[in-house]
Amino acid sequence: MTASILDGIVLGLQFGLLATGLTLVYGLGGVLNLAYGQMAVVSAMVVFFAMNAGVPALPAVLLGLVTGGLFGLLLDLTILRRVYRLQGEARVLLSLLLTLGVAFIVDGFLNWRYPLQALNLFIGGGPVEILGVPMRRGSLVASAITLVTFGMLFAFFRFTTLGRGVRSVIEDEEGARLVGIDPSRMMRLILVLSGVLAALVAITRSMVVPIDVQAGFGITVFALIVAVVGGLGSVPGALLAGIILGIVSSIAATYVGTFMSFVILLAGAGLTILIRPSGLLGVKE
Amino acid sequence: MLEVSGLAAGYQGSDVVQDVAFHIDPGEAVMIIGSNGAGKTTLFRAVVGLLAPSAGDVRFEGEDIAGMPAQRIVRRGISFVPAERHLFPRMTVQENLSLGAYPKRPDPETMAVVMDLFPRLDERRKQTAGTMSGGEQQMLAVGRALMSNPSLIVLDEPTTGLAPRLAAEAYEALGVLRDRGLTVLVAEQQVPLAMAFSDRGYVLENGRIKTEGTSAELAQDPEVRRAYLGVA
Repeated sequence: MTASILDGIVLGLQFGLLATGLTLVYGLGGVLNLAYGQMAVVSAMVVFFAMNAGVPALPAVLLGLVTGGLFGLLLDLTILRRVYRLQGEARVLLSLLLTLGVAFIVDGFLNWRYPLQALNLFIGGGPVEILGVPMRRGSLVASAITLVTFGMLFAFFRFTTLGRGVRSVIEDEEGARLVGIDPSRMMRLILVLSGVLAALVAITRSMVVPIDVQAGFGITVFALIVAVVGGLGSVPGALLAGIILGIVSSIAATYVGTFMSFVILLAGAGLTILIRPSGLLGVKE
Repeated sequence: MLEVSGLAAGYQGSDVVQDVAFHIDPGEAVMIIGSNGAGKTTLFRAVVGLLAPSAGDVRFEGEDIAGMPAQRIVRRGISFVPAERHLFPRMTVQENLSLGAYPKRPDPETMAVVMDLFPRLDERRKQTAGTMSGGEQQMLAVGRALMSNPSLIVLDEPTTGLAPRLAAEAYEALGVLRDRGLTVLVAEQQVPLAMAFSDRGYVLENGRIKTEGTSAELAQDPEVRRAYLGVA
């Protein structure tokens, strides 16, 4: 049981970080990015090819993170320009359709050219005991990176002028403009951040399980579930929901099997939305 | 300081205000009065850049700012306090005020001036804006607008939703700001309060300026008296 819970926390932290990238973009700009998983996979593939070409692990990982950020920037500068001109539900809907299109194109290309590649950053060495449970080193490194990233995100949003500026746009876009903040620049910044987070999750996840080119849609779906359960637009909500769902998923996988764990996860998410439509920490409309 | 001429603005191609002209000199307090739906809010939104005017000129300190987005106009020295306030509800009083100085760090002196003007905000630094009363939120909205050290502050119906005593207090605070040399433009339905406060005024009716004059002249105008001061 302890082992499942610890595994669940490892998984949950990554769920949380994954959902953060999606939830911020939604909270800030009312855009649901369905190409989110593809941002992660493309970045992972860049790391894979860089390392195959002989680039050492750390620079390769940095290259992967930059790729994620550039993917976000590219989305912002191209198809999302059109999306920003719309308001409310029309904006969400167009963003869904366009990013889904991007996701299909990227997925199609990857499956066509590189069907068998997978990023795998297994970290060697024996397991480390935590609370009497042997944990893989990869899990621990991944969790540590995720925790540090969360710490940096919270510090950024709470203590820096720029971070507060981003939050102000989530809180009230018109109010933000009235104090001199350009919402579209904040949106660009957050799309880049979201791409970097997607890349980071894919890279750290590959320390535990391989990330293959087909992983994109699965990543998007998980990010969506966690973001919705946590409350779209809420970073603390994404972290909380990530950890809860990570533990639920890990316990279910241990006791009833992997496939059922996915069903249970979806059922749990559905139930949360029925009881609290705005999510765990979301703002009530 | 601010010169507006031939201004037309509206939504979805139909103009709510048309051919509006008015001006403000430095240090003046100017009011725009009019009934509900006369176009005061639309006019202000067009002046401060929340709405692109469909025609006309807006010049601020000699520069043409018509059609410039709000986030750039505020950096030129015009702060706008909308009737709905548009605060950041889940952020604290302190954070709301700090953001008023964006992108700079808040100037401690300006912060002290705001806290001195509204001691309630000082008491509630750590409280989130969304949990405060209407009067306190209005103070915070004005305080946030002051944090950028504007040369002109524009307020749209600052007494919206306030009890009479609080509305009077709001105008007392504006009086203090005016006496310190800040130029103030205010739109108001509660005409007696605005009239006692301002030097000059314009009457907006059906999207057009109908009358203008000093506040004393307007107070004597029979039509203004009947329509806005409740005098038969």
